[in-house]
Amino acid sequence: MTPQQVTRGDGSIRWRLIIRSLILVFLVVVQPVDLLDVSAQGANWECPAPAAVDATPVGMPVTANEDQAAFPTEGGNLTVFAAASLTDAFEAIEKELEAATPNLSITYNFGGSQALVTQLEEGAQADVFASANITQMDAAIAAGLVASAPLPFTHNRLAIVTPAGNPSDIQSTADLGEEGILLVLAQPEVPAGRYARESVCLMATDTATYGAGFVERVAANVVSEEEDVRDVLAKVALGEADAGIVYVSDAVAAGDQVHVVDIPDKVNVIATYPVAILAGGDEALGTAFVTHLLSDEGQALLERYGFQRAE
Amino acid sequence: MRTAVRELRVGDTPGNVSRVVRPRPAAHANAGTTAIGAPNRASEIAVWALALCLLLFLAIPVGALVIRALGTGVAWDARTYETLRQALGLSMATTAMTMVIVIALGTPLAYLLARRRFPGAAAIEALVDLPIVLPPAVAGIALLVAFGRNGLVGQWLAEGGVTVGFTTIAVVMAQIFVSAPFYVIAARGGFARVDRDVEAAASDLGATPGQVFRTVTLPLIAPSLIAGAVLAWARALGEFGATIMFAGIFPGVTQTMPLAIYGRFGAGDLSTALLLSVVLLIASLVVLLGVRITGGRVRGGS
Repeated sequence: MTPQQVTRGDGSIRWRLIIRSLILVFLVVVQPVDLLDVSAQGANWECPAPAAVDATPVGMPVTANEDQAAFPTEGGNLTVFAAASLTDAFEAIEKELEAATPNLSITYNFGGSQALVTQLEEGAQADVFASANITQMDAAIAAGLVASAPLPFTHNRLAIVTPAGNPSDIQSTADLGEEGILLVLAQPEVPAGRYARESVCLMATDTATYGAGFVERVAANVVSEEEDVRDVLAKVALGEADAGIVYVSDAVAAGDQVHVVDIPDKVNVIATYPVAILAGGDEALGTAFVTHLLSDEGQALLERYGFQRAE
Repeated sequence: MRTAVRELRVGDTPGNVSRVVRPRPAAHANAGTTAIGAPNRASEIAVWALALCLLLFLAIPVGALVIRALGTGVAWDARTYETLRQALGLSMATTAMTMVIVIALGTPLAYLLARRRFPGAAAIEALVDLPIVLPPAVAGIALLVAFGRNGLVGQWLAEGGVTVGFTTIAVVMAQIFVSAPFYVIAARGGFARVDRDVEAAASDLGATPGQVFRTVTLPLIAPSLIAGAVLAWARALGEFGATIMFAGIFPGVTQTMPLAIYGRFGAGDLSTALLLSVVLLIASLVVLLGVRITGGRVRGGS
């Protein structure tokens, strides 16, 4: 028995010492009192000067004709990196194109545009990049990833979504500032998250309608900053959150899983989606894909999925 | 496990308990020698080559992470510091809470599974093991449909005005769900290996059940409990999938280290992601090494 008791004695003294020093280090480094501070929730965001909120299209929109849209008859493998919000529309385009062109195989990688740029920078191989905003396309250009002039191929509006049946009774944009609403946004670096914050900033300038401190009130309601806009949609569709700000195209994709509350034009932010062919990619396949996006057929499909025609 | 218990009980005497408790360090000490079986040179080289392949595969990404982090350099501004402080603080606080709950509730469960025979024990053991093999996404969905606002239990909670989603409690719940099995399995093994005769002897000498547990059983199973707790802690610290689905992402509330790393990476902020990764790496290494060293002493202390 004695050896065991000795063992126990030694061990527990050491463990007590280790645990105490760990707790000490934790208290000094982290100051966990802050963690209990509920007011830490809802970090504020800074509104840009109103003039800075715009979405200037890059390059000149191209009106493509059907002849150019032809894919090489031998087909091939086309890899497209595309913003998460394009998921449903692009998958429909894939079906159409693959049915029309034998031996053509399209592979998509959907994600937040900013994450796609990081992946491309780290050496991911793709032929086409379709971004949800110009900032991320510019980042790709700055990194030397892009081989062609980017073309705006579609636009997207923002909308508020609530769970089906709208249990928290959100009637208008002003209700986003109501106390206790669980609001989910994409994180600020995600285009959808940035546009959503810009839109709230626009609302705040109209103090007659939205009252004072609107941005602060909305910011205090944000309970999660998601990685991409589809995660925002999922949290709302599940009923975990009371409201989220997504693209109209996402709301269309979710169908009757969500209830849509319109954001008036005056305070809405129109997203511009540029597309470009990537350096080191298959130029013929990439050009054919971009041309198809800009063709009447491609534009009509995008419109069916809640996007707006490229002007 | 049950057969192992019987094997140990046959011919066990109080005197060889220490041997029973220390099989692992003994095996460990033999690992580097060629005394047993005296293998020939060719097979020895083959064994080393194969082992080295895996070792390199494990070491290269870790090394690359550190090298890249050092090479990239960090824009050490207030925001980077705040992200690190909030995420590391939340990770440490939530995993500490998780460990307290897992040990407090997991030890009795492990005790019952090892010591009592009851109908459905096998099914319960399978249930306890299940979260280990479940993909994190399944764990996330399972927690959502159970404790989400429209979930099985969650809708009752919501009626009572309690919402777990998007709170630190949800983070702890996700961590408990994925990490508890590691502790319970290790503790169950520990309880099963204890020589019951030693406990009986202590009892005969007048020790109360509480005294027997504290002075006999606990010291004997301490290595198992510590090993299980370390595994569980590591799993809780790395928990990602279930947390992101069930708890959401918010700095200081639900954004633990893994979520912050993913978030910074997703935001195109690779340098902060690298910094957070390296900090997590060092923190984990310190704890694992600390437990290895002190754990070895506890086991070899007699």
